[in-house]
Amino acid sequence: MWAQVLNALLGIWLMASPAIIGSEKIATDNAHIAGPIIASFAVISWWEATRSVRLYNLPVGAWLLLAPWVLQYQHTAPLVNDMVVGALVIGLSLVKGKITDQYGGGWSAIWKSKEQ
Amino acid sequence: MSETQGFPPGWSYNPASWGQRVPIVLLAILGFGIATYMALFQLNVFGTVWEPFFGNDSRKILTSSVSRVLPIPDAALGAIGYLADALTGAIGGTRRWRTMPWIVIMFGLAVGPLGFISVLLVILQPVMFDAWCTLCLCSAAISVIMIGPAMDEFLASMQYMRRVKDARVSLWKAFWGYKEVQGKVI
Repeated sequence: MWAQVLNALLGIWLMASPAIIGSEKIATDNAHIAGPIIASFAVISWWEATRSVRLYNLPVGAWLLLAPWVLQYQHTAPLVNDMVVGALVIGLSLVKGKITDQYGGGWSAIWKSKEQ
Repeated sequence: MSETQGFPPGWSYNPASWGQRVPIVLLAILGFGIATYMALFQLNVFGTVWEPFFGNDSRKILTSSVSRVLPIPDAALGAIGYLADALTGAIGGTRRWRTMPWIVIMFGLAVGPLGFISVLLVILQPVMFDAWCTLCLCSAAISVIMIGPAMDEFLASMQYMRRVKDARVSLWKAFWGYKEVQGKVI
């Protein structure tokens, strides 16, 4: 859970960062779009039953690593920020954390038939 | 003893217990209050809107073109969504995951899209209007926080529906909680 708390904070940081470190239009928009998505997926995965939603942040984190090159950022600050945040988000998304309760087979139990 | 406490099979707790549901209902009521306040501003009942951080931004957002896409102001739609969350969260006893799956599944389906639309609106604020609205952000945070805790009960009801299907009992009757199918499948 702590890893997903950090990811939520990273998402919020991304939303605020253009106003703090300075940025260009395209990098600002990118941070304003990726930030809320990362924070939302992270917050949803705070709970055990929806912990796997943390994995949805993997492609978003990967996009942050690619974005400065694909969108051709001209400034160094947003480039470094996106690369660092992207790498951290990917790493923290992989941390599953403790699952202490039991959920009757979880989400896959909905799709699997148990013929009697 | 887990059945007497209403635990779903293979679960270590009951996701439909009041301890699980009351916090979500309270959050929904808080969200309803915030959304109603913003809707009343959009309907010109209030002349100003509370905005501690971003100056004139809240007014900009709440009177923007996006907020008037639908026949009713977008905050009013949010208020209706929160009300649906609060009602579907509150209705039913602590075994409702199997006695009335329809309300639990409606609850799960009400919470998801509300969160999704809130996040979408949070993205549109800075990207389209270069502005932030504090109460909109609070409302979005509330709706996202509600998703996770609502989903465990939704999962329990979906697993129950699966067991109903495997036992070849009518899914329709189980979904609406008909008396005649009660207790056939746990």
